[in-house]
Amino acid sequence: MSFFARFAQNRGALAGLIILLVIIAMAILAPLLFPESPWRMVQRPFLPPFSQDGFPLGTDTMGRNVAAGLMHGAWVSLLIGLVSTSVALLIGVPLGAIAGYYGGLIDDILMRFTEFFQTIPNFALAIVLVAIMQPSVTSIVLAIALVSWPPVARLVRAEFMSLRNREYVEAARLVGQTNRTIILRQILPNTLSPIIVLASLMVATAILLESSLSFLGLGDPNVMSWGYMIGAARTVIRQAWWLSFFPGVAILLTVLALNLVGEGLDDALNPKLSRER
Amino acid sequence: MLYARLIVMRLCKAVIVLFLIVIFNFFLIQMAPGDPAAILAGEAGATDQEFLDQLRERFGLDQPLYVQLWRYVSGIAMLDFGYSYRLGAPVFDLIMARLPATLLLTGTAFVLSLVLGIVAGSMAAARVKKPSGSLIMALALLFYATPLFWVALMSVVVFSVYLGWLPAYGLYTVGAGHTGFALVLDVARHLILPATTLALFFMAIYTRMTRTSMLDAAQQDYVKTARAKGLKPGIIQRRHILRNALLPIITLAGLQAGQMVGGAILTETVFAWPGIGRLMFEALQQRDYNLLLGIFFFSAALVIVFNIITDLVYRLADPRIKGGS
Amino acid sequence: MKTPLALAISAAALTLTAAAMADEPRSGGTVNTIIQPEPPGLVLGMVQNAPTRTVAGNIYEGLLRYTTELEPVPQLAESWEVSEDGHTYTFHLRENVTWHDGEPFTADDVVFSADVFHRELNPSARAVLQHVESIEATDDHTVVFTLTEPFGPFLISFEAGTFTMVPKHLYEDTDFRNNEHNDHPIGTGPFKFANWERGTVIELVRNDDYYEEGMPYLDGVNWHIIPDGGSRAVAFENGTIDVLPSGTVENFDIPRLSAMDNVCMTEEGHEYFSPFAMLWMNNREGPTADKRFRQAVMYAMDREFARDVLWNGLGDVPLSAFGSNARFQHDGLEPYDHNPDRARELLEEMGYDGEAITILPLPYGETWTRWAEAVQQNLREVGINVSTQATDVGGWNQRLGDWDYDLAFTYLFQYGDPALGISRTYLSDNIAKGSPWNNVQGYENERVDELFNAAATAFPDEEREALYREVQEILHEDVPVGWLMELGFPTLYRCDVQDLVTSGVGVNDGFKDAWLDR
Repeated sequence: MSFFARFAQNRGALAGLIILLVIIAMAILAPLLFPESPWRMVQRPFLPPFSQDGFPLGTDTMGRNVAAGLMHGAWVSLLIGLVSTSVALLIGVPLGAIAGYYGGLIDDILMRFTEFFQTIPNFALAIVLVAIMQPSVTSIVLAIALVSWPPVARLVRAEFMSLRNREYVEAARLVGQTNRTIILRQILPNTLSPIIVLASLMVATAILLESSLSFLGLGDPNVMSWGYMIGAARTVIRQAWWLSFFPGVAILLTVLALNLVGEGLDDALNPKLSRER
Repeated sequence: MLYARLIVMRLCKAVIVLFLIVIFNFFLIQMAPGDPAAILAGEAGATDQEFLDQLRERFGLDQPLYVQLWRYVSGIAMLDFGYSYRLGAPVFDLIMARLPATLLLTGTAFVLSLVLGIVAGSMAAARVKKPSGSLIMALALLFYATPLFWVALMSVVVFSVYLGWLPAYGLYTVGAGHTGFALVLDVARHLILPATTLALFFMAIYTRMTRTSMLDAAQQDYVKTARAKGLKPGIIQRRHILRNALLPIITLAGLQAGQMVGGAILTETVFAWPGIGRLMFEALQQRDYNLLLGIFFFSAALVIVFNIITDLVYRLADPRIKGGS
Repeated sequence: MKTPLALAISAAALTLTAAAMADEPRSGGTVNTIIQPEPPGLVLGMVQNAPTRTVAGNIYEGLLRYTTELEPVPQLAESWEVSEDGHTYTFHLRENVTWHDGEPFTADDVVFSADVFHRELNPSARAVLQHVESIEATDDHTVVFTLTEPFGPFLISFEAGTFTMVPKHLYEDTDFRNNEHNDHPIGTGPFKFANWERGTVIELVRNDDYYEEGMPYLDGVNWHIIPDGGSRAVAFENGTIDVLPSGTVENFDIPRLSAMDNVCMTEEGHEYFSPFAMLWMNNREGPTADKRFRQAVMYAMDREFARDVLWNGLGDVPLSAFGSNARFQHDGLEPYDHNPDRARELLEEMGYDGEAITILPLPYGETWTRWAEAVQQNLREVGINVSTQATDVGGWNQRLGDWDYDLAFTYLFQYGDPALGISRTYLSDNIAKGSPWNNVQGYENERVDELFNAAATAFPDEEREALYREVQEILHEDVPVGWLMELGFPTLYRCDVQDLVTSGVGVNDGFKDAWLDR
C-alpha cells in the first residue's frame, strides 16, 4: 500500500487534513478577502454574528471585524506554530543525535542539560521568557521553542541509540565515512518518520501555548492572534459570547486537525504498529 | 539498603540540579527590564531620587550582582528565601500560605485525571474496533485540543452564571464563617470547576496513554499464554493487561504532574484560586525577584520530588529495572 | 441678595427635607467589596499606592477631610486658622480621639507624623513639607505649621492618603519599615484592622471606640481579592460583593452591571485625584520632537470615540492641560477636535517622512490596551507609521524612566491643585531619569517654569489665576504631552448601601458614613 493510501485509510486523519487545508487556505486568503487591517474599527461595536452583510461573525468591543481577525489570526497561529517547532527541532535534533550517537560522557552531559530544562515547569518558563524578552512574535517563538525541544532531543537520542550499531552504519564506518556523514546521511534519514509525527503534534502544542500566552496578555500587540482575541473578549464574555467562542473553536479545530494528521502519519509511517489500533 | 543508597544518590543529584536552577533563574531574572525599586516607587505614584535610593539600599539592589547572587545562594543554603520586596513578608511564609491551595487543586486534578483517564483508556482499549471506543478517543482528543483557559471561561459562564450551580471563583465563601465539615463542603464546591477544567486536559493525555500502553501489553507473550489457557477476556483485560500497563502510565503521569503546576497558572487566574501559580505571575510583573525565585525553587523541587517518587515506585514494583539505567 | 440668616434658614430647610426623605442611618451589617490589585502593605505613608490608600483610608485618618467640591472639612482637626499673610496654619485637634490600641491621640503624634515619619518615608508629603519651616505642638491639642512662604495648595494636602497620622508611641525610634506593627496597622479611623489572608481577603471591623458618637454604622468591611476582572464582575452579579470601587471591573462590564436591579452608580468620589489620562510624547528626538507632529497627533486622535466606546461615555475630553477639578482651568482655548485632515496638513508641513515610531500602552488592564489599539489606528489613518510595543509594569517603568519611547500612555492624579498635581509634568527641573512620573517627555520652557513657580507661592488666588492662564496658553500651543481624557471613575454599589461616597476621595474613606438599609 502506498503511503497516501495508508494515510487515507484513517478517516480521522483525512478529516484532519481537510480541516488543516481549510485553515491554511484561510491564512493565505486573508489578505485577499479582508485586505484592510483587522485592527480597523469599521462598524459599531458588539454587532452580533449574522446580523449584517460583510460582518458574518459580528464585530468586537471596538467595532473591528471578527471574521477578518479570525482569518488573519490563522496566519499568525500557523506561523508561530511552524516556526517555533522548527526552532525546537533545530535545537533538539542535533543535541539528541550527538548524545545518542556518541553516548558516554557527552550523552550524560547533554541528557543532564535536557533534564534540567524539563525540571522547570514549561508554561511558567515560557511566561518568564516572554516577559523578560518583552512580548513580540520573535520572543514568543523563541520561548515556545526553548520549552519544547527536550522531548525532541530524547526521541532522537533513543532512535540514534538503537540505530547506531546497525549493519549499514557499521558498513559506513568501515568504508571510512566521517561521523558527521554517518549522522547526517545514514542515521538521520531513518529517524525522520517519528520526528515528523512528533513535529506535527508539537505544532499543535505550540499553537495552544501561544494562545495561552496571548490570553494572559503576553502576545505580540501588533498581530491579531486567536489567543489575543479570546483574551480581549474575556472581559465581555457575558454580553458578547461570540467574541471568545469563534476564536476558541478555531484553536480547537486547528489543534484537533494537527493531532489527527499526526496520528495518521504515525499509522502510515509505522504500519507495523498501527494494525492493532 | 540498596534503596536507601539510591535515595541518597538521587537526593544529592537533586540538590545539585536545584542549585543550578537557582543560579540559572537568578541570571534569567536579572535580564528582565525594570528594577523592583522603580516599580514600587512608581506604584506609590510619586518618586524622588531619595525614595528610590532608600528602596534600593533596603533590597540590597545597590550591591554588585555577584554580591547579590552570593547573598541569595548562601541564604537558600540556610533555607532562607529572603524577603518579598513588594509584599513586605518573608518569601517562605508567602509561599507556604499559597502552596496548600495549589497542592489541593493540582492534587485533586491529578487524581481525577489519572483515575478517569485510566478508566476511559482501558474502556477504549477493550473496544478497539467498536464505535464506543472510537467515541472515547474522539472525546479525549477534543479535550486535548481545547485551550484550558477557554474551557475555564466557558464553564464559568455555563455553570455559575447561567445555571448558578457552582461558585465561579475563590477558595471558599468569604464571610460565610463556615467551620468544620461545612467548610470542607464549601471548599469542595469551589474546587469542582477549577479542578475539572485542569483535569480535562491531563485526563485526555492519560486516556491515550492508557490505551496505547494496554494495546502494547496485549501483544506480550504472557497475555497470549493466558488467552491460550482460555481465560475470559474480561479477566485477561483486568488481571494481565491493565496491571502491567499501569506502571508506565503512573510513571509518565508522575513526570507530567510537575507540569500541572505550570498549567495551574491559567486555572488559578481565571478562577481566582489563591495558589502559587497566580503568585508567580504577579511576582513576575512586579519584578519581585526574591518571591519569583522562591516560587521557581519550590516548583522545581516539586517536580524533582515527583520524579524521585515515581522512579522509586517503578523500581519497587518492577524488579526487572536495575539501578543506573 | 439673600441675607446670611435667610441662607441659614434655607439650608436648615434643605437638611430637614433630606432627613425626612431618607431613613435614619441604621447600625449593623458587613459590606463586601473589592480591592484590586492586592496592596503591598497597609501602612499609609510607608506605602502610597492606590489600593493601599483605598483600604487603609478607612483605618487611618488625616487632619482634614475633603468634600466632593474639595472643600476642607474637619476630621482629626476640629478647626483651623490661616494667618493673614498665608505663612502660619494653626490646627485645633479633637480631644477625645484614641488610637486603636487605646492610647490617646495628641499633637505630638501630628508633629511626629509630619516632621519625622513623612519626611523620611513619603515623597508626596515631602513635596509639600519643603515649604514648611517648622511644626510645633503648642499644647496637647494644638499644632502650628509655619511656612517659608505662602503655598497655595497647603490646606488641600492633609488628606489621609498623603498626610496620614501615625502613632508616635509605636513608631518613634524604630526602624519604620521593619516595625512589628506594620502587619497590624494601628490608626484612629472608624475601622480597625482585623485580618489579612493574602490572596483572599482583608477584613476590617468596627472601631467601637470611635470618637464620633454612634459611628461607624457598619460592623465591618471585607475587601475581597479577586485577580480576574471577569470573576470580579460575576461576584458582584451573584451578590457576593456589594460595592465595586472605581477601576475594579473592566469598563465594558459597567453598562451591564449598572443596569441590574438594585444597582446604583455614582461618578462622585474621585475629585481629589481627578485622574488625567495623557500621552507622553518624547520631546527630545524623532518626529515627536517637532511641535507640529505633536499637534497632528492631537488632531488625529478621536477622543470622543474613546470616551464613548471604551469608557462608556464617562469622563471628559480635556479643554486644557489643567483638568476641570484642579482649579484655575482656562476654558477659552481652541479645542483640538478630531480633525484628520488638519493632522495630515501638519505632517506634510513638517515634512514627516514616515519614520517609524512606537506606542507604549499602559499595562493596567484591558481598557488601556484597547485604547492604545484605537489611538494606533487613528494615527495610522493620518499616515503615521506606528506600531505597538508590548510591555508589562516593569518594562513600562523601565522604558519611561530611561526615556526610551516615542509615545506612551499614562494617567496622573491632579490632587486638587495645579501646584500639587500638574506643574510636576512640565517643570524643567523635574526632568530626571529613572522615574515614570516626572517631566518624562523632556519639555523645557523657561517661561513655563517661571509661571508655575510664581503661581505656587502667589497669594491670594486671583494672582495665581492670572499666572496659570498664561501657562495654559503656552502649553496648549506647545503640546508637550497629549491630553487624552479626564477619566470618570464610577463606583458601583447595591442601592441599599447608603451614604457610601461622601467625600472627594470616594470609598477611600467612605465607609465611615455608610450604612445598610436592609
